[in-house]
Amino acid sequence: MFALIKLMQSLFGALHSEGTPGQLAAGIVLGSFLGLTPLVNIHNAVIFAALVVLNVSFAGGMLGWALFIPFGFLLDPVFDWIGHTLLFTPSLTPFFTSLYNMPIVPLTNFNNTVVLGSLVFAGVLAVPLYVATRLGVTRYRATIGARVRQSRFYRAVTASKVYNVYKMFRP
Amino acid sequence: MSAPAPDSRLQAPRFKIFRWRAIGPLLVLLVIVAVLWWLFADTIVRHESQQVGTQMLGARVEIERLHLDIPHGKVLVYGLTIASPHEAFKNLLQADELVADLDVVPLTEKKLIINRIAANGLRFGTPRETDGRVAAKSGEGIAGRVLAETREWASQFQVPVLQLATGKITIDSLDPRRLATIPAAEALSARADSSARAWKAAFDTLRLGPTLDSASATLEQLRHARATDLSTINAARQAIDRLKRARGRVTTLENGVKTGVADLQAGLAGLDSTRRRDYAFARSLLKLPSLDAPEVGAALFAPGAIKPFEQVLYYTQLARRYMPPGLLPRATTGPSRVRRAGEDVRFPKERALPGFLLRSAELSFLLQPASAQPQRYAGRLTGLTSDPALYGRPTALVASGSQLAAGAMLNHVRDIPVDTAGATVGGIRLSAFAVPGVPVRLDPGAATTQLGFNLNGDTIHARFVIRSGNVRWTRDSGFANSAIGDLIWRAVSGIPNLDVEARLSGALHHPDLAVRSNLDQAIAARLKAVLGEQVAAAEKQMRARVDALVNDRVGPVRARVTDVQNQAQAQVAQQRARLNELQKQLEQRLRDLTRIRLP
Repeated sequence: MFALIKLMQSLFGALHSEGTPGQLAAGIVLGSFLGLTPLVNIHNAVIFAALVVLNVSFAGGMLGWALFIPFGFLLDPVFDWIGHTLLFTPSLTPFFTSLYNMPIVPLTNFNNTVVLGSLVFAGVLAVPLYVATRLGVTRYRATIGARVRQSRFYRAVTASKVYNVYKMFRP
Repeated sequence: MSAPAPDSRLQAPRFKIFRWRAIGPLLVLLVIVAVLWWLFADTIVRHESQQVGTQMLGARVEIERLHLDIPHGKVLVYGLTIASPHEAFKNLLQADELVADLDVVPLTEKKLIINRIAANGLRFGTPRETDGRVAAKSGEGIAGRVLAETREWASQFQVPVLQLATGKITIDSLDPRRLATIPAAEALSARADSSARAWKAAFDTLRLGPTLDSASATLEQLRHARATDLSTINAARQAIDRLKRARGRVTTLENGVKTGVADLQAGLAGLDSTRRRDYAFARSLLKLPSLDAPEVGAALFAPGAIKPFEQVLYYTQLARRYMPPGLLPRATTGPSRVRRAGEDVRFPKERALPGFLLRSAELSFLLQPASAQPQRYAGRLTGLTSDPALYGRPTALVASGSQLAAGAMLNHVRDIPVDTAGATVGGIRLSAFAVPGVPVRLDPGAATTQLGFNLNGDTIHARFVIRSGNVRWTRDSGFANSAIGDLIWRAVSGIPNLDVEARLSGALHHPDLAVRSNLDQAIAARLKAVLGEQVAAAEKQMRARVDALVNDRVGPVRARVTDVQNQAQAQVAQQRARLNELQKQLEQRLRDLTRIRLP
């Protein structure tokens, strides 16, 4: 229940933040990387750092993470297949061999089928997701955004303490 | 005064890429992570080592304490326990202390290079309180698959246990449908009928009747003819020619009949050999004890002798999976996590470091640690690596001591891996065990065991020997009233020594197993003496059963074949006799007519 409330807070907080639709979309895209790929990996530390340091919607990032976690679990077999196909493609073997024998890079676990498959999938999804989210947020704000902002439900959600924490990272 | 120009920066605030105020919290987070790592690195590495070790070996790996000293490149492991993948409440080994010297720089490439390990207080085969098998229960991962494969491999050597519990010989029910003689007899009967029809048709096509009638008429004319009646004489000669041609056809038919008869006779003989096969099949249904010494040896010791081979093969196959030859990309099971593990693919590169390398390990271990004077030994392991082709040298293990000589070499440098191991261990107290199928328990006492193992590609040659000069026999109470038990007990209880040898050779998927022991002859001789008559009686009974089932079908077939052959031969003989008789009469009459009578 708490997770659901938190998710709704993130959703409304992000939609009605002062950030531009582009910032919100970029945040969701970065968050989708966290949700789609196995979490405990170096690339996710980089993604998280980017989410914090770059002027994108942090709430959007949290929202994207929460939204894409179930898809990550659901699509694991697909990621495994993508990663397996890529890692065993003969023409890519020299490239992967170089990466595998470089410092630091192997620590990213790129040579794991699920990690590589999910990363590639998230990368391919990034652009359409960014465009679609940006368009969606723009349309939302132009149509029903103002009415939602006036609703009691919105005020109840934004009045909670969690929202205050979120405001620390608002764009 | 003109109005001041509006500042464009006030009209459109500049978009900032970075959120500089978040740097602080991020740095704080990094510091927290660093502090947590500093506090819990030992625990994390210990946990990961246990998890990876368990996954790789298929048996629980436990570490009491681990200390990571990265600046000095040292890892200290205390209280290492590795459970046996095969036995539930036994450890494969325990080590009091392991000190490893690491190369730190390759860690940045996720490569573990250990220059030296000093292992102290190694102990083997110690008991444990919980079941430490993992692969045997889950069947997952590489270890699980290898374990399943080796178990399946070992299952092909299931030798029937000697049926000596009661000394009785039993016969399973004999299903007539599984006897080959009956369908063979039915087929022969059909062939006989077919031959009879064919021969009858052949006789009909000879058309001997008109020839014989014509010849008879000519003979009659010739009897009343004179020497000058040339037309009648010519007709007689033509009749003789026709008779000769008819006899030629009869001869051809006779040859065909002879061939057919021989074929039917062969069919009858075939029925006899088929019946002998049925005897053999029925004999296989008898639960007879093995009476030959080699079979006795296999029945007694094969189940126990195959276990060491199975275990060594398990570790060898595991080594082949984790230490594959060549430089092609190889996949292994990924790390266990909430998400799907996937596969980790390794990409070895020429002139680069392997993913894992243990250059040298100094081993100090105890054998029989529970005894009053445990034996201390030393060993050395070199070149254990995940990429033998990169390291360029085989993995070698040597251990020696007063009663131990052991060595192993895993040569996966070339395309065809060659794994060799040999060990001789003396003074080992083996636990007493019940000899399968024989009413005795054997306590080998302090025995010497030898193991030789060579797996060259897919060809295996292995030998396992147990020798003991002071065995003790205990009678199994379950056979107290068994006459056979008495005899076996008397045969073996006086034997003071034990000498068992098992040999395995051939293609790995289906090698030959030969087991012999000094008990084989003693037990086999006793069995033959006692059970020989019973076996003969059982075999006689079994033959009678087969005969009873088969004779009902074979007898009529045999009679039918004889009848068909007699009929055909008689018919041929009869026709031939008529032809001959007519020809003879015609020729005689011609001679009478054409003879010149002198006045």
